[in-house]
Amino acid sequence: MMNEILVITIGAILVNNFVLAKFLGICPFLGVSKKLETAIGMSGAVIFVMTLATFVTSLIFKMVLSENSYFSHLSGLKFGFLQTLVFILVIAGLVQIVEIIMQKKAPKLYSALGIYLPLITTNCAVLGSAVINAKEGRGIIFSTIFGFSSAVGFSLALLLFASIREKLELARIPKVFQGTSIALITAGILAMAFMGFSGLVK
Amino acid sequence: MIILYSILILCVVALILGLSIGITAKYFLVEQDPQVEKILSLLPGANCGGCGFAGCSDFAKSLSEGKAEVEGCPVASAEVRKLIAQVLGKSVSDYIRKVAVVLCGGSNNFARKISEYNGIADCRSANIIAGGGKACRYGCLGFASCARVCPVNAIEICDGLAVVHSDICIGCGKCVKACPRNLIKLVPETITVHVFCSSKDKGVDKKKLCDVPCIGCRKCVKVAGEDEMLVDGFLVRTNYEKGPAADLPLRAGCPTNCLGNSFPYSYKKLSKGLIEEKVA
Amino acid sequence: MNYSHDNHLYFYGGVHPDDSKKLSACEPIKDAPLLEKYTVIVGQNIGAPPKVIVKKGDIVKKGQKIAEASAFVSANLHSPTSGTVSAITEIIGVFGAIVPAIEITSDGKDEACESTKIEPSKASPEELLAKIADAGLVGMGGAAFPTVVKLSPPKAKKIDTLIINGAECEPYLTADYRLMLESPDKVLRGVAIFAKILGVNRIIIGVEANKPDAIENLRKSHLLNEYGIEVKSLRVRYPQGAEKQLIYALTGRKVPSGGLPMDVACVVQNIGTSFAAYEAVYEGKTLYERVTTITGSRVVKPGNWRLRIGTPISKAIELCGGIKGDVAKIVAGGPMMGLAQISLDTTIMKSSSGILLLGNEEIIQYRNQPCIRCGNCVDVCPMELLPGPLSVYIENERFDLAEKEFVMDCMECGSCAYVCPSKRPLVQHFKRAKAEIIAKRKSQQLSQKAK
Repeated sequence: MMNEILVITIGAILVNNFVLAKFLGICPFLGVSKKLETAIGMSGAVIFVMTLATFVTSLIFKMVLSENSYFSHLSGLKFGFLQTLVFILVIAGLVQIVEIIMQKKAPKLYSALGIYLPLITTNCAVLGSAVINAKEGRGIIFSTIFGFSSAVGFSLALLLFASIREKLELARIPKVFQGTSIALITAGILAMAFMGFSGLVK
Repeated sequence: MIILYSILILCVVALILGLSIGITAKYFLVEQDPQVEKILSLLPGANCGGCGFAGCSDFAKSLSEGKAEVEGCPVASAEVRKLIAQVLGKSVSDYIRKVAVVLCGGSNNFARKISEYNGIADCRSANIIAGGGKACRYGCLGFASCARVCPVNAIEICDGLAVVHSDICIGCGKCVKACPRNLIKLVPETITVHVFCSSKDKGVDKKKLCDVPCIGCRKCVKVAGEDEMLVDGFLVRTNYEKGPAADLPLRAGCPTNCLGNSFPYSYKKLSKGLIEEKVA
Repeated sequence: MNYSHDNHLYFYGGVHPDDSKKLSACEPIKDAPLLEKYTVIVGQNIGAPPKVIVKKGDIVKKGQKIAEASAFVSANLHSPTSGTVSAITEIIGVFGAIVPAIEITSDGKDEACESTKIEPSKASPEELLAKIADAGLVGMGGAAFPTVVKLSPPKAKKIDTLIINGAECEPYLTADYRLMLESPDKVLRGVAIFAKILGVNRIIIGVEANKPDAIENLRKSHLLNEYGIEVKSLRVRYPQGAEKQLIYALTGRKVPSGGLPMDVACVVQNIGTSFAAYEAVYEGKTLYERVTTITGSRVVKPGNWRLRIGTPISKAIELCGGIKGDVAKIVAGGPMMGLAQISLDTTIMKSSSGILLLGNEEIIQYRNQPCIRCGNCVDVCPMELLPGPLSVYIENERFDLAEKEFVMDCMECGSCAYVCPSKRPLVQHFKRAKAEIIAKRKSQQLSQKAK
């Protein structure tokens, strides 16, 4: 059991990092990484949403959508095709709730994140996590652990990138590379660096 | 059958989610002030910081809380101010927009250098090191500290002299703080006649350092109307409370050509009686 | 050249430029001839400038007070010769700005004003301190901090060690060296005066090991035993003579960041100041002249001259035979921390330790190149700062980040600019940052007061 958990966590954080190896969730990655403080805020929000979302979606999957689910046995029909719809519904709802709570409890962070907060919804990272869990057929506990670890991996990449970008602000970048260009090049180099972890976990 | 069940599943999930969101929204409600939203939509949105607050939304909030005055925004035009004042239920005095002007004419062509400066190309840094090599200790250093802070790129450095494009300038005042020699002043945009010199030295000494100083001969003071040009030792300056007519530089016959109009207004066009014409 | 020394505490960093002292090291101190006119700059000390107490037309005698200390941190100013005050005027000062000055036209007689001598063994510390304050003594090493303030630490700070700076770590300068060679006894008596005022038991004179004859000379004197003074030879490294580095090398104590020597129970004074203290107490002389080294590869005959304050630099260079060849920079002070001059009309002050005429091969032409993160500057900063990253922050006007990285601790010694391969003007960046941070703190204080 411990082995399995370790494999899932290290796999999700380092080896198959959502941003740098799977290239999911690039939008908030590039959009929120200009300042370290907003990046930390965004990481917190993503960890919360992703863990909760994978928990709820894996629950629904086990109950209704999977081939061996209770509802499937009960009705004798397969509901796998509803996967995408239901997952998106759940994730959107959860993000809305997080947004409302954040507007009340942390208004500064809310205005700093701006449009990138609801973008957690439509960004493929959370949906990807849910779908991968469904494909691998993991249990609820392991799904949640996977969701949590992949969110931590996302945060790791985001915080690393934000720190680099803060330093890049002070450097003399040639005119052709200023702005998004140098950010994307840096992201590429960071992704190459994380390639060094490949093969650690299958 | 399967369609029925699918619809059922989706409805149940949606219902649960909707209820959760509804309950959360009720308990975590944040009051949005419609007044702030309205003021924000009226403000120019330059986020220049000229009001002293951190951007237009911060200023809008402070306005509705009564912590700021409508006059605080230097960029808003007179009509916008009246509208904002209406929203707040206050009245506002008549206002003429201000623009910046650099009161120095000492470009590299005209002003002499006393020594070779080898250091950082920034006015505040150069001023610390023996005045950046410029002979006149009041003159513009030309290293563009003012141009760099301008949020709308209204300042151009022409041959080592900073010149403000008054048609682009929004009057936020950032350049005034940036200049280490306090050469930039915010003046009403309707007064376009300026003495482009700020040196307090004696007239005779000034001529040794620069070709276009104000030597204090007072020709313009005599030609202009009463109190329109003020004298301060060997330096004459425009009275910005009661400005002279815009064609004064043509009539006064300034011996050093330090009397002129704000860029980009030229007095060639002014001679035809068109005050608002600009250089092409 | 490897000099043996008996100092085993090495401060971090520092550079070892060629000391070029041989140009003027063998020149004995000569008195400059009397000039027709002396233009004495009023603000010659750190702190408040003194208040001028003479007016045009007044007759003054040599050594007479012409400006009065206007605050606690201020110093008196005295006339360099007898004559008439011909004008209260303005001239270009050493920093390149126009400063107030008093012009005195000499009457050729060079009459001294009345003065009283004190026998230190019969005087109290308070009387000695009053005499030093009256003589207008300031730090002659270049800082020009009023000596009376340094010798009056607040009661809470106990002082147990007096350290005398004989290191003269700046290249080219040899004024203190010649003083130690030619008048060791006077210097030691001056040191003893300071020791009596402070009431300390331990007195150490630190001299860099590249001046072995000066160390020998001091050690030969019988006064060492009489006053209990130790003479230690120091490792030859710039800036060994800086206060904090000197204290560490001689006592092992580290002055805390933003602190002063009195925080570690030490007071540091310069050899030249000690000599001036001797003259003030034993001979009743006020401070109106000092030994200045005029040297460099572009002066005809380098030398050490006793110049009066108010001597124009042009006249001083004439004394040495004039300019030879193409001179690139004329520096007041040492080559590392001195200030490049824009006019030869500026005059000698109490803090003018040297006038250097340097050629192109002896100076650095600064370029606006980016920081390549080589780390050379980090290796040499004696205050253990990060000059390269600091200069990047300041270039981008992030003075908040610069303040967090302790830019206020920078002593502007110039070691970082000396080794920077990109030839960045690092010290100018730090001067700018310090000015901005001090201005911001002032405006914050004002807005706090307004509340």
